[in-house]
Amino acid sequence: MPKIMIIEDDEVISKELKELLQSNGYRVALIKDFTNTLNEILSYSPDLVLLDINIPYMNGEVLLQNLRKKSNVPVIMVTSKNTEVDEVLSITYGADDYITKPYNPNILLLRIGAVLKRTSKNTNIINYHDLEINISKGLITKGDTEVILTKNEMIIFSYLLNHQNRIVTRDELMTDLWNNDEFINDNALTVNISRLRAKLKDIGYYKAIETRKGLGYILS
Amino acid sequence: MKLNKYLKDKTYAFILSIISYILIILILLAFKVSKDLIVLIIAILIIFFILMLGIDYFRKRGFYCDLLNKINYLDKSYLVLEMINKPDFYEGKILYDDLYNINKSMIENIKIQEEQLQDFKEYIEMWIHEVKIPLASLVLTLNNHKKLFDNKTKRQLKRLEDDVEQVLYYVRAENANKDYLIKDIDLAMVVKRVGLKNMDDLLDNKIAFKVENIPYQVLTDAKWLEFILGQIINNSIKYKRSIKNAYIHIWAYDDDKQVTLVIEDNGIGIPSSDIDQVFDKTFTGENGRKQGTSTGMGLTICKNLCTKLGHQITIESKQGEYTRVYLSFFKNKYFEVLK
Repeated sequence: MPKIMIIEDDEVISKELKELLQSNGYRVALIKDFTNTLNEILSYSPDLVLLDINIPYMNGEVLLQNLRKKSNVPVIMVTSKNTEVDEVLSITYGADDYITKPYNPNILLLRIGAVLKRTSKNTNIINYHDLEINISKGLITKGDTEVILTKNEMIIFSYLLNHQNRIVTRDELMTDLWNNDEFINDNALTVNISRLRAKLKDIGYYKAIETRKGLGYILS
Repeated sequence: MKLNKYLKDKTYAFILSIISYILIILILLAFKVSKDLIVLIIAILIIFFILMLGIDYFRKRGFYCDLLNKINYLDKSYLVLEMINKPDFYEGKILYDDLYNINKSMIENIKIQEEQLQDFKEYIEMWIHEVKIPLASLVLTLNNHKKLFDNKTKRQLKRLEDDVEQVLYYVRAENANKDYLIKDIDLAMVVKRVGLKNMDDLLDNKIAFKVENIPYQVLTDAKWLEFILGQIINNSIKYKRSIKNAYIHIWAYDDDKQVTLVIEDNGIGIPSSDIDQVFDKTFTGENGRKQGTSTGMGLTICKNLCTKLGHQITIESKQGEYTRVYLSFFKNKYFEVLK
């Protein structure tokens, strides 16, 4: 379970953010006292830091510069200053991504996922029971049989695989699809899911994807 | 400065001189002075009178012609004092000194206004950043407690976000400050971000979002462009037709000089009587009046932002059929060479 550290001085935001990240399978640490932020980050050694620019004692950009002297932990700047100059500065200081408030929670999760994926080892091939899934080729292999997935089906399936045993909402799937330049509508999503189910059924996984009415889907 | 007007202005001098000549002639005649001498005296007087006027005219002409000429040619005519020499005749000196004082007080006044405007702008920007914090926490709360809130709340929140954003860009568009950064931007990436941002609205309104392959890099500020595209897409959503295949279609083409991004919708369109005014400040037009929620600011801000970034924005539409917005990004040869 990846560890994420939230450096944010607004209590409501940090509390809700913690809840959001926890329910998406991350371990989360908050900072309450900002006098010694740098050392707290270093001692917790998170897999990712969400860093607000406007924090007490030390500006987030300065903190980032100091952090970069000692650690390469991925950092996403989260801020309400949405100018290109601020973004370029943050990236120059060593941030991995830059998100402006107010952000769409699904998009935030996708960007966190993307940064973690980029920095961890390339996981192009995922295993699911006795299936081997090659994401970039859009291929599921079971022994000798191969099933080809379309791009949309692969996006949906890999999202479900990355969130196994957790309810995934249609909204999340939709956001991931749009994030991959597949601007489809509700009907098309339903169609893609039933095709994906049919293909899984062909290789013996009858009820891999379950529907939870009013909530979403779950891959168990 | 024209001679005839100058002479007309000196009518009183002519009249007084003529009266004085008549008096002199009468007096000389009374003293039985010889006629030749009278003619000589009057001739001398007339010659000196003309000389006096002539010298006066040419002294003033030099100064005034210079002044008027430079006022006409300067685009900021209030700077004319920096360009002319101080005259050597009394009236000219008064004019020059007074103009100097008037100018000084005006500049001081403008300076105060500018400072106030700058303070106001900074306050608004700061306020917007402040207000985004509770907005961000609301968005998160709403997402974490979906059961407590319905979609209406989410939609209202999105509207609030959009309106706050519009104020921010209005302030940025109306001020001379350069808070943008132009660099190479992947056009497809910006289109995707705008699509994602408006995904809920597009899906709720059952508008198909069709994006062609856009393999172009353009010189722009990504944040500003995102806002501009957001406004255009918001308009397409707002003025859609309730038909089955409502769509927004986005594509781009490159014609050597520029890359053009086209955003087309099959919404209600814009009446031809309104189309020339869509970029005017607070113009709402027929469609805006029907909708009732139009501020008439969105496209004005877009136009201003485009002007600053050096892009061109044009709209064509057929009422009841389509609206097409063209955004053109000029290529910079100099920049290409630098790269």
